Amino acid sequence: MTDAVKPAAAPAATAPAPTPSDSVSLTIDGMAVTVKKGTNVLEAARTLGIDISAFCYHPGLPVVAQCRQCLVSVEKNPKLQPSCQQTCGEGMVVHTTDPQSTLARKQQLEFTLLNHPIDCPICDKAGECTLQRLYFEHDNADSRVDVPKVHKDKVVDLGPTIVLDQERCILCSRCIRTCDEVAGEHQLEFAHRGDHEVLTTPPGAQLDNPYSLNTVDVCPVGALTSKDFRFTMRAWELEATPSVCNGCATGCNIEIHHKHGRAWRLVPRHNPEVNKYWMCDEGRLTYHELREHRLAAALVDGLPAGWDRAIRAAADHLTQALSASPKTVGVVLSAEYSNEDNFTLGKLAKAWGVTNVYIAGKAAVPERADGRLRVADVNANTNGVVLIAQALGLPAKHTVDLSPDVRTLVMLGTELPGIDAGKVRELDLIAISAYERGPVATAKVALPAAAWAEAAGTITNAANLVQRMHAAFAPPGQALPAWEALVRLAQATAVGTSNKLSFAHAREVFKDMTQTVPVWSALTWAREARPLALRFAGSRG
Amino acid sequence: MVAPSTTEPGSRSLKQLVLGRKDVQDLSDNEQELPPDLMTVNMGPSHPAMHGTVRIVLTVDGERIVAGDVQPGYLHRCFEKESEHATYTQVFPYTDRLNYVSPMINNCGWAMAVEKLMGLTGHIPRRAEYIRVIVSEMSRMTDHLTCIGASAMELGAFTAFLYFLKCREWLYELLEKVSGARLTHSYVRIGGVGKDLPENFHADLTLCLDQIVKIMVEVEGLLNNNKIFRDRMAGIGAMTKEDAIATGCVGPIARSAGVDYDVRKDYPYSVYPELEFDVPVGTTGDCYDRYLVRIEELKQCIRILRQCLQQIPDGPVMADDPRVALPPKAATYNTIESMIRHFKHIMDGIKVPAGEAYAFVEGGNGELGFYIVADGTGRPYKAYVRSPSFVHLSTAAQLIHGHLIADVVPIFGMINMIGGECDK
Repeated sequence: MTDAVKPAAAPAATAPAPTPSDSVSLTIDGMAVTVKKGTNVLEAARTLGIDISAFCYHPGLPVVAQCRQCLVSVEKNPKLQPSCQQTCGEGMVVHTTDPQSTLARKQQLEFTLLNHPIDCPICDKAGECTLQRLYFEHDNADSRVDVPKVHKDKVVDLGPTIVLDQERCILCSRCIRTCDEVAGEHQLEFAHRGDHEVLTTPPGAQLDNPYSLNTVDVCPVGALTSKDFRFTMRAWELEATPSVCNGCATGCNIEIHHKHGRAWRLVPRHNPEVNKYWMCDEGRLTYHELREHRLAAALVDGLPAGWDRAIRAAADHLTQALSASPKTVGVVLSAEYSNEDNFTLGKLAKAWGVTNVYIAGKAAVPERADGRLRVADVNANTNGVVLIAQALGLPAKHTVDLSPDVRTLVMLGTELPGIDAGKVRELDLIAISAYERGPVATAKVALPAAAWAEAAGTITNAANLVQRMHAAFAPPGQALPAWEALVRLAQATAVGTSNKLSFAHAREVFKDMTQTVPVWSALTWAREARPLALRFAGSRG
Repeated sequence: MVAPSTTEPGSRSLKQLVLGRKDVQDLSDNEQELPPDLMTVNMGPSHPAMHGTVRIVLTVDGERIVAGDVQPGYLHRCFEKESEHATYTQVFPYTDRLNYVSPMINNCGWAMAVEKLMGLTGHIPRRAEYIRVIVSEMSRMTDHLTCIGASAMELGAFTAFLYFLKCREWLYELLEKVSGARLTHSYVRIGGVGKDLPENFHADLTLCLDQIVKIMVEVEGLLNNNKIFRDRMAGIGAMTKEDAIATGCVGPIARSAGVDYDVRKDYPYSVYPELEFDVPVGTTGDCYDRYLVRIEELKQCIRILRQCLQQIPDGPVMADDPRVALPPKAATYNTIESMIRHFKHIMDGIKVPAGEAYAFVEGGNGELGFYIVADGTGRPYKAYVRSPSFVHLSTAAQLIHGHLIADVVPIFGMINMIGGECDK
């Protein structure tokens, strides 16, 4: 599932094979299977490739056996059992295709569809809807009832992020449990009974926890829709590229859902070691930044320039400054950029003999830390930059308290914490940045860089896990991955010629980096991921 | 044939260098006017006497062909790769563009391959099977009419061309009434056909066939014993039975060489076992035999069509299987069950169980096969088409060897290479 690359010290991803004492053996549809003790029948069946239909069961949430969609026959048990709640027992014999349980599941599905509105053409979930999938794969029969459908509220504003359509809701309670478990806040519940039962917020409360959008992911139908995503793009037309959220130091594994060269939403990707099935709302909305204040062409003295002219201008200036004295030049590494970008810049600083090295990043937000997924450090790669600076022997300082000698600053990113704007204007800045804001706007030379979703690379999260990002789409305009811009700069600068950088691909930077940083020596570069067309992704939903 | 030149290379004048040979008045008595070297000429890719976009680089010794390098590929449209990105139903329009002179047969072949994967073979409604045979045989007729008409025209018999193209147009008009499109029908569906036959189809087709029978008598009278036509066709581009088998030739080309192989008889599919028809087989394997085989097949097509019109039963034209049949429009708009099914069919595609299958039909040019690898999703994991034209074109270089340049035209015409099918 995850393609995170881990340090050698981290525990192995696969659990050791269950020993006889903590495993049970059972038979499902005539096939023998041995699973860990405590596993439920539904999960055991999935290991055999048997897909028992289910709505309310979610592997990351408590089991409630509410939807009755996963009923199976267990021998010696007179009643059908919900397979999500039925723990595997030694010697248990389970049937999922016998007439009794098949009929029960078909009838349950017919019942679930009874009051479901005919919304597929206007529903955001269409194409990745569990109800659609289960009906198509497990039932595919016409309804036998033609009484009018029960109507409920179609637009219920639950809070700042979510709109509820009560008609579409099939009352599975996944969202209620998600709020309880993931956010630790009880903000949703059921009201009324029977036909009139609806999902709603408790009196006086609204759905405003920082993990609220996870309820949209777990919703098996289109009842809960994200205000950010609803009516913007049909889900089945998107392509998914695996990546890692750059919103904070947690590094939640995500999928970038993109089309037409832009991201339309971020959704969490399962990684048991980092984020399980979840991510926070802030992180989910970071994709908007990919289209704001972007630097699409190089700037020289504030005017657009081609790559050649910009690199020449920067290299000429640097050659002059470095030949005068390397002490007049400072280098700013960025905790917001990938390991590869920072390693290239660090290596360049070393070749130039620059000793004024700083690590910059956004200021910490202490109130974010909630002991769940959100942490105070809102930079994606702080640990990675620190490790790289150490390994390269660069005396990196975490605050940019410039020594008075420094006249020229080569900086990655947009942050220069600790320097006031007046002082920044006096410096000759050579910035490599994805965004045109802050100090970059007054830079002598600004080189356009790819943002995190547009370049292959790795970042190191707060737990020191090195995780791989894949390029989902091309960067805007003439922007290049920052390491590539730095290689161009290195080639053009006539100082430090003994150790020219000549990387041609991010994996070459990565290889050099793993040979330099001792704790990363066992890491390998994951193959580039091909975007997955959600339309043909099979069992989505 | 030609005496080797005695001229020393060093003694060539400027004029000689430019012309590549001496001027006539500069020749001495023992020198020949024509240069003795082999000449390389291009035939195609766009040549007025070649129907089909293909380039043949001919190495000629005077008028005689010493070697021919046949270079297809000008109509490559990535049929197989494109199919991997389309649902099984969306592939039908692509198959129309394989052999675009007989698209209905391609439609049927693709549908049969998918049906084989889904275990639907034999469960298609009988009316749909008869309709498939009717439109297939009409397509076979358009294919043969085009092949014979165009080849005759390229040899100067313009009347035959006009007569046969008129016949073809009647058939196209009927097929347009059936499917809505004159050429790219996309009429067949997985599990049946798109819609039932139009009103008055029986009468229209009967009238059309009666007219075609009359016209065929005239065209046969014009061509069969026409001296020019026979001189240009008989003994030209002959292929032995052994060669036909060794090179994988099928259809009229193999049959003209004496290979008695017709998928409809040897691996019967659909309702062909219930129909009476003969498979003509030639003896000499030359262009004239290929012509005769096609003429006879036209007559057999008419025979099959007349039987079909008599035997076709009433009933549904689509299998009653929710996996493949779209729900009726009214149900789609008014029930959530049909709405979901319709949505899933259109957006995700028909779910074909994982596996692989090869299904083949008798196309206009012979065995047309589709091989599909399915991975359980709504689109093929891999699709392959065994296109007869591609195999037949591979024999072209051998067939034209030793013949005159002018013979390329009837040989190529009777191979009946269809660019869309050959280049895939």
